[in-house]
Amino acid sequence: MLEQGVLLSREEQTKITRVLVRTAQMLAQCGAESRLIEQTTCRVGAALGVESVEMAISPSAVVLTTLNHGSCITTTRRIHELGINMHVLCAIQRICILSEKRLLTTADDIDKHLTEIKPFRYNRWLVVCMIGLSCGAFSLLFGGDWPVFFTTCIASAVGMFVRQEIAHRHFSPLINFATTAFIATSIASMATVYQWGEQPYLAMAACVLLLVPGFPLVNALFDMVKGYFNMGLARWGTATLLTLSATAGIVLAMKLTGVWGWNP
Amino acid sequence: MELLRAIVFDAFWSAIPAVGFAMIFAVPPRMLKYCAAGGAFAHSFRMLQIHFGMPIEWATFITTTLIGLIFVYVSRRLLAPRPVFTVASIIPMIPGKFAFNTIIAVLSMNSGGVTEKLLQASIENGLKTLFILFALCFGLAVPSLFIYRNRPIV
Repeated sequence: MLEQGVLLSREEQTKITRVLVRTAQMLAQCGAESRLIEQTTCRVGAALGVESVEMAISPSAVVLTTLNHGSCITTTRRIHELGINMHVLCAIQRICILSEKRLLTTADDIDKHLTEIKPFRYNRWLVVCMIGLSCGAFSLLFGGDWPVFFTTCIASAVGMFVRQEIAHRHFSPLINFATTAFIATSIASMATVYQWGEQPYLAMAACVLLLVPGFPLVNALFDMVKGYFNMGLARWGTATLLTLSATAGIVLAMKLTGVWGWNP
Repeated sequence: MELLRAIVFDAFWSAIPAVGFAMIFAVPPRMLKYCAAGGAFAHSFRMLQIHFGMPIEWATFITTTLIGLIFVYVSRRLLAPRPVFTVASIIPMIPGKFAFNTIIAVLSMNSGGVTEKLLQASIENGLKTLFILFALCFGLAVPSLFIYRNRPIV
């Protein structure tokens, strides 16, 4: 790594800046924590030979400046949430390491590799089955028995299917979470209505756990612990709103079916 | 023997949610087995600690710290960022039941009036939810806060 940075022409520096901001944008869109976004982008920048990379990350945009021999270039990119995708994150991390090991040396190379990343998704029916089993597993861990397990599996598998369908039609995640919670809870409340198993209310608690906003919550605290307060608070807000809308769905279902989940 | 069986049961049924949620997060297939192992280890180890009288928040904190440290090694070997594994592994420990009970208690207070019992239930469950969540996240952040202060892990 060079202390002063190699002498770059204005065009070269612009090209590098574009690649860097694209890296940062892709990282932010696939759900990386802020420290990782900043670190990875700066490492790629250093590997490409700019003196320093300074960036500001906010929930809706990234601003990035490269500095080289007294010349600054600044650019901004809008961030559109594309959903969490760890495959993209791994791929970008690989590109970062390759560029540090001098296997990718030009901005064009890196840009080509970034373009080649195709976000990987699991087969949707596989996900539906696995999420059904997962929520069933939660109900067992809470101390439920087999009738409760099966009810939970069916309720949350149907919930996951609905969630995918709504997400596919580009509705707001808030509407999606409320609808999914409503449908899953309605199905799970059947266990209580017909008294299947020992503690049928556990099915209602477990079947909505597919809606836990795990990544926003963990990232929120990571960001705040590491000093990125605007991002952390924004993610915390997202997680809270998503939980509240899931709650709305649960309440609506419980009012309609007349089954109150749990009596303290 | 009874305890061993409980641990195996716990580990098996917590590996499944870890994998299920890893699939929602699109974790690459060759890394799923680490998520499964992480989830199984985390939840069963926490259960063991609770069995020996550790409060659930501290048990969670100790477990996630361990998970964080173990996955430093794995992620350096596989050259993948740590959240890829850690977030899926802690999913089985998310305090879903406490959160659900809190919500129900608060809503019952809204519709049926505040009683001492409901107030107690909502505060107790709410505090548990909050502290377990904090323990989860701080535990995972321990390696990067104490050992790798400003340096990248991978």
